[in-house]
Amino acid sequence: MVGVKMATAAAASIRERQTVALKRMLNFNVPHVKNSTGEPVWKVLIYDRFGQDIISPLLSVKELRDMGITLHLLLHSDRDPIPDVPAVYFVMPTEENIDRMCQDLRNQLYESYYLNFISAISRSKLEDIANAALAASAVTQVAKVFDQYLNFITLEDDMFVLCNQNKELVSYRAINRPDITDTEMETVMDTIVDSLFCFFVTLGAVPIIRCSRGTAAEMVAVKLDKKLRENLRDARNSLFTGDTLGAGQFSFQRPLLVLVDRNIDLATPLHHTWTYQALVHDVLDFHLNRVNLEESSGVENSPAGARPKRKNKKSYDLTPVDKFWQKHKGSPFPEVAESVQQELESYRAQEDEVKRLKSIMGLEGEDEGAISMLSDNTAKLTSAVSSLPELLEKKRLIDLHTNVATAVLEHIKARKLDVYFEYEEKIMSKTTLDKSLLDIISDPDAGTPEDKMRLFLIYYISAQQAPSEADLEQYKKALTDAGCNLNPLQYIKQWKAFAKMASAPASYGNTTTKPMGLLSRVMNTGSQFVMEGVKNLVLKQQNLPVTRILDNLMEMKSNPETDDYRYFDPKMLRGNDSSVPRNKNPFQEAIVFVVGGGNYIEYQNLVDYIKGKQGKHILYGCSELFNATQFIKQVKCTLVVCFL
Amino acid sequence: MAVDITLLFRASVKTVKTRNKALGVAVGGGADGSRDELFRRSPRPKSDFSSRAREVISHIGKLRDFLLEHRKDYINAYSHIMSEYGRMTDTERDQIDQDAQTFMRTCSEAIQQLRTQAHKEIHSQQVKEHRSAVLDFIEDYLKRVCKLYSEQRAIRVKRVVDKKRLSKLEPEPRTKTRESVSSEKVSRDPSQDSEEKSVTEEYPEKVPAESQPELGTWGDGKGEDELSPEEIQMFEQENQRLIGEMNSLFDEVRQIEGRVVEISRLQEIFTEKVLQQEAEIDSIHQLVVGATENIKEGNEDIREDRTKKTKGCRSYSTRHRADGLPTGARTSSGPWPRVLPQPLTTRAETLDPVYTRRPEARCSPHQGASQLQGAE
Repeated sequence: MVGVKMATAAAASIRERQTVALKRMLNFNVPHVKNSTGEPVWKVLIYDRFGQDIISPLLSVKELRDMGITLHLLLHSDRDPIPDVPAVYFVMPTEENIDRMCQDLRNQLYESYYLNFISAISRSKLEDIANAALAASAVTQVAKVFDQYLNFITLEDDMFVLCNQNKELVSYRAINRPDITDTEMETVMDTIVDSLFCFFVTLGAVPIIRCSRGTAAEMVAVKLDKKLRENLRDARNSLFTGDTLGAGQFSFQRPLLVLVDRNIDLATPLHHTWTYQALVHDVLDFHLNRVNLEESSGVENSPAGARPKRKNKKSYDLTPVDKFWQKHKGSPFPEVAESVQQELESYRAQEDEVKRLKSIMGLEGEDEGAISMLSDNTAKLTSAVSSLPELLEKKRLIDLHTNVATAVLEHIKARKLDVYFEYEEKIMSKTTLDKSLLDIISDPDAGTPEDKMRLFLIYYISAQQAPSEADLEQYKKALTDAGCNLNPLQYIKQWKAFAKMASAPASYGNTTTKPMGLLSRVMNTGSQFVMEGVKNLVLKQQNLPVTRILDNLMEMKSNPETDDYRYFDPKMLRGNDSSVPRNKNPFQEAIVFVVGGGNYIEYQNLVDYIKGKQGKHILYGCSELFNATQFIKQVKCTLVVCFL
Repeated sequence: MAVDITLLFRASVKTVKTRNKALGVAVGGGADGSRDELFRRSPRPKSDFSSRAREVISHIGKLRDFLLEHRKDYINAYSHIMSEYGRMTDTERDQIDQDAQTFMRTCSEAIQQLRTQAHKEIHSQQVKEHRSAVLDFIEDYLKRVCKLYSEQRAIRVKRVVDKKRLSKLEPEPRTKTRESVSSEKVSRDPSQDSEEKSVTEEYPEKVPAESQPELGTWGDGKGEDELSPEEIQMFEQENQRLIGEMNSLFDEVRQIEGRVVEISRLQEIFTEKVLQQEAEIDSIHQLVVGATENIKEGNEDIREDRTKKTKGCRSYSTRHRADGLPTGARTSSGPWPRVLPQPLTTRAETLDPVYTRRPEARCSPHQGASQLQGAE
């Protein structure tokens, strides 16, 4: 059973694996062992922006300190020579980075250099460094050179993104714009494949790849298969054998990689959402697990002529240590509001307890009651004192979530996002609509123009047949009146036409959302989360298209949608792409990768789906992460007709 | 997983070298290159700061090794029964404690020195940050090693305290066993219930007295091998009862201990308050003492005065100024040479019956009194 356990552990947490790899790198490429009486060693960490994006969701500054890092600096910043200290570099092997590193060598900034490249460096660039080292007589100072194969960003235990810095390169627009040339496409595909390859090296497993035909995903699949195959054949330098695998070599089952293209489902990125994490991503400024809030300084009438009060900018990190976040990031928003209230109350109770003890100890034995209470209070006091740091941490988290949830709630109330959510759910599940679409669009109170555009686009996408010309004109007029730009509509029209040619439009399952009664508790306790007029909508489990596809493939179900998906197995000797899967057993682990961009809604849907299945794990990845606003922006600029 | 390409790098270096040689690019030449490297390296000064920091670290490392080496012997509780080889006397332990403490002190002083020095020297912001972080690491290291030491010491102190406690409790178990023995003896005779009770109630006192004769009878009674079942049962019951009593006593003692602790705490509070009021109390005390003295003297004087009055009236009024102080000159036998304090005037009539009981006119005392009264 140990083997099976290892198997589940292997794919269970990509975050853990990447963190371990980073820590090892920081420990001079030697596995890190915690030793409580070890001598301190100090070092300096130099990274570029890519490195920064990879490290920041995983290691906090304190953790860096614990690893002995005194300073962490950007590569392309002014750096002073610090004598007698080893420097650990963690950079991408690009031209400018290499140049800067050579410059560092020439300037003799540090005592010794440990070079770590995020993805593999080419031979010629290595020689450039060698050249510079020779010129600076610093060859012996270059202590170690490593290819780390960590070119992806892990955001959650089971979610990763390809990149943040150059995401325009691999954005939806970049892949789907009509005027893209072949060479450009090649570059984009290579970037994606490189990151995916790094991902599988870190995971320590060779997947079985399945992808749909005729899409960008297929191109990625072909290239990835080729790369993996080459690496496996190269017995000397294979990254998937022996000791480099670690725990992964115990997995008896190989994971399934499902490559899907964003174009199979354009409604989900536009969808208004109701779960906490997705809402934060949709409504607030949230990326790389950090949310930036602008705190309004209250409703005050500033005297005429006075400068408006500066809004406080606050940013919070939503990390795996935050237990509340881990528990509630997938919960519907009213539940979150309630839970924050509960946490606040329990915190206040504990605080009162401590205060009461404090006051009792201060009494001067005035009455018998106090004296008798004293007897068993010493134990309580010690436990209260020792639990104080915990209490403070809890308070900090409660404050954090109160602020974040309040900000989200403000948006919900201002834009009536609950109405949109309910309506869209109904549209997507093809239940009857109680309000006409036109009404909502022309309603001046409900939502920004963008919200209305989103709603309409979803309607358009999920409609079985396109609305008649007259209707369309009506809608268009209403939308323009509301202030929307109609460019995205053009794009969607083209997309839909193309999609119709390819296959039937994806359906979203038949479920409903039931509005429950207004939360009495939240209403009555005069809490900050006054959700007046906000419906308490309960999400019912529904499977988005991506989830359905995964379900079919993972469970080896037969379905017209997925039956003609291509099948790649890099480990097979003969590289033929038959559609007949060799493996007849359902998979235990799967990785879903969306080429063209993903979002938290899909992620949450997958998490919910897999929760019901014992012993199965899913990892979700995408080439970039965008919310609806960003998606519409991209789509606005892609106007002209032809697709890939 | 990460791939080590250091060897590849070295190979690239060789390639570049040979290529440069072939191209005739001067890189410092083949064999000379290494020498040049050495030359170029040596003028680079090894930073003062870091060498000293390393020194401190090695010192702390030595301390740590020293502590770990002797740790086993140090916390060995049974050293008094172990062989000579592994034993560590208490004096040795104290020595270790002292040494460790002085060592730690010197180390932390060294760290402080380094810190001030690092800040004094003008350097870039980055170097400053780096140095302070390094010093933080060293301090942390020192703290961890000190923790080792304090853990050891805590174990040792705890052992000593436990030993003391056990040694205090020693008489009890012995008395208990004796007592159960004696009770067995007594219970042999079921008719002696009262004796039983008396034994259990007064066992602490009886035990020393009984122990001797009991041992004697025990020795005699050894002949009897079998105990009848009733006797066994009674012994058992007796034991149970005793256990119950012991437990309840124990609980009570615990409670009393707790209450005593609280009482002591309350007493502390009281003493605190009392000490605060000490000064006032002192002054009040002084005043009261002075007042009583004065009154006594006043009374004496008045009595004398009365007796003398019978011998003849003397005009005391002149001798008494309004404020009760005698005029500068002394009379022949000045029974009033002393100063009458002010408070006496206010309390004289109430305190001393001499004045109040004889309000009828006497020339001078009354006048004196009225004078004094008038002096109010």
